[in-house]
Amino acid sequence: MITTLTTHRSRWFLAPLALCMALMTGIAQTSASTGDDARSFVDDVSERAISIISEKSASKAEMEAEFARLLDETADMDRIAAFALGQYLRTPTPEQKSEYLKLVREFIVKVYVTRLADYNDEKLDILSAKMKGDKQAIVRSEIKFTNGREPVSVDWWLVKDGGDYKIFDVNVVGVWLAQEQRSTFTSVIRNNGGDFNALLSHLRKQIGKAEAGEISDISAAN
Amino acid sequence: MAGIALVAALALTFALTAPHRAMAADEEPAMATSDTDAYNDSGENDPLEPMNRYFFELNKFFDTILLKPVATWYDGVVPEPGRNGIRNFLDNLRSPVILANDLLQGEWDRAGTTASRFGINTTVGLLGLFDPAADWGMPQHSEDFGQTLGTYDVAEGPYLFLPVLGPAPPRDLTGFVVDQFFDPLTYIYWDDSSDVPLIRFAVNGIDQRARSLDTLDQIERTSVDHYATVRNLYRQIRKNEIANGKRDFDDLPDIDNLNFDTNETDSPSASF
Repeated sequence: MITTLTTHRSRWFLAPLALCMALMTGIAQTSASTGDDARSFVDDVSERAISIISEKSASKAEMEAEFARLLDETADMDRIAAFALGQYLRTPTPEQKSEYLKLVREFIVKVYVTRLADYNDEKLDILSAKMKGDKQAIVRSEIKFTNGREPVSVDWWLVKDGGDYKIFDVNVVGVWLAQEQRSTFTSVIRNNGGDFNALLSHLRKQIGKAEAGEISDISAAN
Repeated sequence: MAGIALVAALALTFALTAPHRAMAADEEPAMATSDTDAYNDSGENDPLEPMNRYFFELNKFFDTILLKPVATWYDGVVPEPGRNGIRNFLDNLRSPVILANDLLQGEWDRAGTTASRFGINTTVGLLGLFDPAADWGMPQHSEDFGQTLGTYDVAEGPYLFLPVLGPAPPRDLTGFVVDQFFDPLTYIYWDDSSDVPLIRFAVNGIDQRARSLDTLDQIERTSVDHYATVRNLYRQIRKNEIANGKRDFDDLPDIDNLNFDTNETDSPSASF
């Protein structure tokens, strides 16, 4: 009697649950083909980025730490770093490689926090999202300005890594950022006779410059 | 991400020749082009790099001692409405060149916009000092003969950086020269030893430099190789301008299996 009751009860519970599951898988399948999950991913990333830069009470260092965390979670840093080396991808030694990965991350954080700091209370509207093959997606969006400036187009190139989307590249009014990065990184290595250390020291120098730039920015603002 | 102004700015110090290059970022559909694809181009196509770098440094030197100080002064002394009036006036003056190129590209709608803008802004806009046409749904766009050649699938050619002019690969240098012939003002001052064209060129350069003071500083500060950054940005911006802002996502490189551990060949073309 007791068993019957339990079975009964669990069936009663299971039916709607099963329905939910079916619905959810259904939704998941549709979104996979239309790029809806890519859209919501970009929505989430931009919301977080905007909240980081809108927090005006935060110091530059706090902003950088927040931004670094966002980047670690949402950008495919290894792939970006690998891409940026172009034909020199296999030239670094394991030590150079790990140093490079560390510097590149720091460099990107410094550069983009500096660049993003100019944005205030802007809004990002997603225009469209579509799959590119089965592992990549392109999400097109626009930054709307509150001061009546022309909107700026931003395209996101996402790549699926272990089920989750990660940012691979961002196109701002026609310029792919990772591509620009690759072109300069390879140029440095090429112009130093293929010496990978030249890139590392350039990166270190640039990180230092970005820091110096922040200081002068702050003193200019005061 | 503040690349917007970055993009707009870039054209400026480095290319005083084509006003509002970067402003052609509008999304109007246009014919897709298969211009030299910077993205798939693993070689840099820059055989004269040492010379180009020399001129690049030369321009940077003159920028530091002359153009930038003058632009900073202009930015500080002339109030914004004045600067906008000058910008509008210069843009309006360029309308015939833009119109000629709209037509040569078969962009009839854009040609109509350019012609209407010229009519409206020259009259209602008081000889082009104001831009009422933009408020009436006809925003400014720019064209030049380099872009027109691009729409005819003419390749950019090897990179070239010239003193004063900035990035001027053969296609765009040709375009710059041809555009002079589309400009009625060229004929007005043909036999004259007038300074007007020179003043126009200089004011245009100063105004554009003034509009990009922060952005260009930022680019210089955040690039590992300033020359290479400018070269790449120039190519990407031009490609985008030729396509009138229309993006082609199908010719992006294959990155599916790209990482440090892939066991592919070292050949640049194989993995990218």
